[in-house]
Amino acid sequence: MNWKLYRNELIVALSLLIMFSALLYKNAQVSSRSQETISIKHAVTEFKELVSLQKTWADKKVSKRVEKLKKIVPSSKIKWSKKGKKLTAHYTALTPKELNKLVTNILSMAVQIQVLKINRDNSSYNVEFKCKW
Amino acid sequence: MSFLGNSKALVLVYSGMKEKSLSKPVNIMLTPQFYILKKETLPLKYHYQAKKIAASLFDGLLENTSKYDYFVYKEEEEWVFIAYDMQAINDFLLSKGISPEQIGKIFFAQQSAANFTAPLLLGEKEALLALDNTVVIIPQIALKEKGEILTFDDSFTPKKGVTSQGMHTSALSMKQTIGLTAFFTLFALMFFIEGWRYSHDSQAAQEEMQMLLEAHPSWQSQYTRESISAKYRAIDKNERKKREVVKTLAGMIFKGVKVGTFQMNEKVFKVDFICKDTKVAQRLIQLSKKSGFKSAETVTGNIVHIEEKL
Repeated sequence: MNWKLYRNELIVALSLLIMFSALLYKNAQVSSRSQETISIKHAVTEFKELVSLQKTWADKKVSKRVEKLKKIVPSSKIKWSKKGKKLTAHYTALTPKELNKLVTNILSMAVQIQVLKINRDNSSYNVEFKCKW
Repeated sequence: MSFLGNSKALVLVYSGMKEKSLSKPVNIMLTPQFYILKKETLPLKYHYQAKKIAASLFDGLLENTSKYDYFVYKEEEEWVFIAYDMQAINDFLLSKGISPEQIGKIFFAQQSAANFTAPLLLGEKEALLALDNTVVIIPQIALKEKGEILTFDDSFTPKKGVTSQGMHTSALSMKQTIGLTAFFTLFALMFFIEGWRYSHDSQAAQEEMQMLLEAHPSWQSQYTRESISAKYRAIDKNERKKREVVKTLAGMIFKGVKVGTFQMNEKVFKVDFICKDTKVAQRLIQLSKKSGFKSAETVTGNIVHIEEKL
């Protein structure tokens, strides 16, 4: 059989074969990789979220940052007790302005609020604050 | 392998030729022994018109027992009509050892009339010669002695020829072949690129995951990650809720409202707002309900009490 006589058909058949091979390759990649990719991407997203959560709630610098709560009001108004990763602070005779400043600072810190008590005493406020990190 | 050029050898076919043994496909050129020629000057413009009337021009000249095909072309001012019996040609070629699948194109000696500038010998008795621009067969005896003799070669190959229906012919023209091949190749390329992209996406995600695992080697286990994640998610949710409550309550303080007491622990919060009068207290209750604190109520005069779980 002389193949040269069928060269046109052969060229077209070859290109068709290549196209089908490419289609099979693509389908194989889609079926095997898409599920795998979705699964890995999901794991990566969760991992990143975990990193972000840990960075927020287990920040090693928080221990230093809580010291700021000691400085925002005169030391005469504070009873401060910090042990390890726990803080107990009593504030007395705070002006409304000082109270606002203290609460704003507490809320902006990545600490776990255990107790926050505010009592009005005439025109001033007494505050009890317990937290851990 | 040449796709465009006609690279086959040209074989001259005449009745007295010797049997051939071919290893490659060839083109053949038929001598006037295998066709009937007619030249006419006709007022025709197009080839298809000439082809249409070809059969009628040979009326009475051809044998009724044979089936003829026609090859038509224009030679300067004249139309050249060639009638040939393909079945008879095929039978003859087979008898000389040339099978149909070995034949590329069939040409007629008349097409190369210009090349016959001298006689071409056909065996020992006959010769091919162009007389008045018509290729004819004459006895060698009629030739002048010591005259010039032509040698037949591929340079006699004309541009156009015919292909027998009984012989193999490609079902696809070159244009169709190029078009279809380009179409299939384009799609093949698209499928390959798409497949590669899927593969690459997966690789990129795997690399990113690997980098994260290298940065946090203690989190290799999925179980460990889920456990740590659950712990921090719970903390995040609770702490965000506490801060949201404090901010909402702070936003509810307006003229005539003061915080009496506020208590918050891990599970609940309580707040007493001291209002200037009952009107303010009612307004505060409305505002509290609007903010989602449904437990808001007045206790002992102008004090609004809210107590809810976190």
